[in-house]
Amino acid sequence: MAAKKSVLEFISSIKAKKRRELLEFEAKKLISIWGIHTTHAELAHDVQEAVKLAREIKYPVVLKVASPDIIHKSDVRGVKVGLSSELDVKHAFEEIMANVRANKPNANVLGVTVQEYVPPAREVVVGMVHDKTFGPTVMFGLGGVWVDVMKDVSFRLAPLTRDDALEMISEVKGYPLLTGTRGAPPADIEALADIIQRVGQLAAEVPEIVEMDLNPVFVFDKGKGAVAVDARIVLREG
Amino acid sequence: MFKFFKKKPMRKKPIKPKPIRKRPIKPKVVPKRVAPIRKGYDVKALFEPSGVVIVGASDAKTGTAPALFRSAVDNMSRTYKGKTYIIDLSGKMEGAFKDVKKIREKVELAVLALPQNLVLKNVKKVADAGVRAMVVSPSYGQEQRRELLGAKKQGVRILGPNSTMGVINTRTGLNTSLEREMMPKQGGIAIISQSNSVGAAVLDLACLRGIGISKFVSLGDKIDVDEAELVNYLSNDDDARVICISMGDVRDGRKFVDALRAAAEKKPVVVLRAGIARLEDRIYDAAFKQARAIRVRDVEEMLDVANALAKQPPMAGDKIVIISNAHGPAVLAMDAMHREGLTLAKLDEKTVKGIFQRYPDIDAANPIDLGMEARAKQYELVMKNVLADPNVDGVIVINMLKSSLLDVDDMRAIAEVLKKFKKPVVDVAMGGESYVLVHDVLKDTNVPAYDSPERASRALKALRMYGRVKEKSKAPPVPKVTKKPKAARKR
Repeated sequence: MAAKKSVLEFISSIKAKKRRELLEFEAKKLISIWGIHTTHAELAHDVQEAVKLAREIKYPVVLKVASPDIIHKSDVRGVKVGLSSELDVKHAFEEIMANVRANKPNANVLGVTVQEYVPPAREVVVGMVHDKTFGPTVMFGLGGVWVDVMKDVSFRLAPLTRDDALEMISEVKGYPLLTGTRGAPPADIEALADIIQRVGQLAAEVPEIVEMDLNPVFVFDKGKGAVAVDARIVLREG
Repeated sequence: MFKFFKKKPMRKKPIKPKPIRKRPIKPKVVPKRVAPIRKGYDVKALFEPSGVVIVGASDAKTGTAPALFRSAVDNMSRTYKGKTYIIDLSGKMEGAFKDVKKIREKVELAVLALPQNLVLKNVKKVADAGVRAMVVSPSYGQEQRRELLGAKKQGVRILGPNSTMGVINTRTGLNTSLEREMMPKQGGIAIISQSNSVGAAVLDLACLRGIGISKFVSLGDKIDVDEAELVNYLSNDDDARVICISMGDVRDGRKFVDALRAAAEKKPVVVLRAGIARLEDRIYDAAFKQARAIRVRDVEEMLDVANALAKQPPMAGDKIVIISNAHGPAVLAMDAMHREGLTLAKLDEKTVKGIFQRYPDIDAANPIDLGMEARAKQYELVMKNVLADPNVDGVIVINMLKSSLLDVDDMRAIAEVLKKFKKPVVDVAMGGESYVLVHDVLKDTNVPAYDSPERASRALKALRMYGRVKEKSKAPPVPKVTKKPKAARKR
């Protein structure tokens, strides 16, 4: 399969850099090879490059710090959203650099990733872990407090059938939020199931990937799709 | 694990010329021919051996071994239809041989009801006698397990160690368990239990309730034979209509899930597993769901559900009718049913008319209240009408013997009617003594009887779950995801 070959090549290029954890823009490249819809993201080493990329990606854009040492980018105030002009991008770049210097002075910062901005939507989490007994296992939960506080998540072994994916979505307690309540239209559950299935398939076919976290995934209204807004991928040791 | 299979490291030093022998050359010792390492026999030998040997030491001082030995001998002599040989290493038991070598005929299964040290001493000898499978009752530490595995070199399959409840096959009367007087009657439920005690509890309850068992096996510490292999064997065993598994952790999750999934395609699989408070159990639960196994909460539910699955057809939908001779229990049944995700059926006009024409006093809305004066005749007519209704997927029949004119003899007539229909029916006789009476009449029929609507509803739910498995198997396979999704694009 062509996608598998490109993913494996991509992974060996990361391994060649002696890294196990992919940067956000790399993780997004990898999942988009696998057909998982994600926001367009490119690495900018300096402010000029950031401005150039923003023009290419089209405004408004999002800037996020790119550093192998920073996992939670908003914790160091390394994320700026809704930037709609060259000036915004320049300011945001300087601000992010200043924040990171202040909050995480020892981090090795490669620059920022310039990303396509997507409007807010219902947020969910799709993840993958390696279980010691069952191997690659896919996790699903509703975003924010639903996962963190309520532990409202469901699991399935990879790979999944479409029925497995739909079942694991409907299993969480917050499921009515996706089907539409109080006048809200239903979310695009089919597109979400597609992402879940693809994560499962990727996990099953590429055992080099031991951990994956698409958090958040924005699920738009029915028929309008779903998109991974942040992605984290960890490779197997060695 | 298999250290003893490893080859010796290559000699690196140059080989020196041997010194000239001074002593006379001894005759060369011809090594005994050892059978080549083979793949291992089928676990079938555990359940359907031709010839069984029970090895024990009647005067052993320690632990449970002598009691186990006597129980196994006693059980086998009473029920087993095949040939049993008894080896008493102490040489005291009447009719027993003292040495395995004395056996001239074919024995495929050996029960090692010996103390720890004697098992290790004799395991090789027993393997050499040509057995294909062994039940090992004492438990062992890691090092000794390795020694035990030596027998595998001859392809012998090992059940246990620490399998004190052993193997039961009700068709042949094979029973190697520690427990006496606990031989369930022949039936369609196969049971795999990792724990000896939970397994014993299941058997005990099955005996009390007269629930038929096809085969039973207690896994113990499973150094060799594991859940996956047994599930696989039982899924191909025509005697087993339902497979029940009481389990803990498995070693190879994927192998287990694959076996479970394949088995569930052929027959219902019921799973009991403790540990719901732990995170890892979430993954087990997911695995059960993906394999379409039916998970239960306790031993009672396991047999309740298995009994229904063994006797009744899978349920094609969620729509239930409640037929009762009392109002209160019917309302409770509605709650119980709703809790399991089942719904009340809306009866066809024809059905309502059919009931009304004959018994205008009966309220033919669902739940159908027959009234306290109802006898077999009323039940018969209503059930015939209801079971022929295309809007009905399953039926809960409630018969209260107390506070009504219904007699236990009416139950026989009711059971006769139910025999003829291909839709799931479960019976509820709420209460204590009256349940025992009703159960006694129904236990040998195809209608499972329960003492509460909760138990009955869970059984129906399981029949529905299996109905869904059947629908899924018919559905076309899910296409692979390879293309880019169309849905997620411009907004």
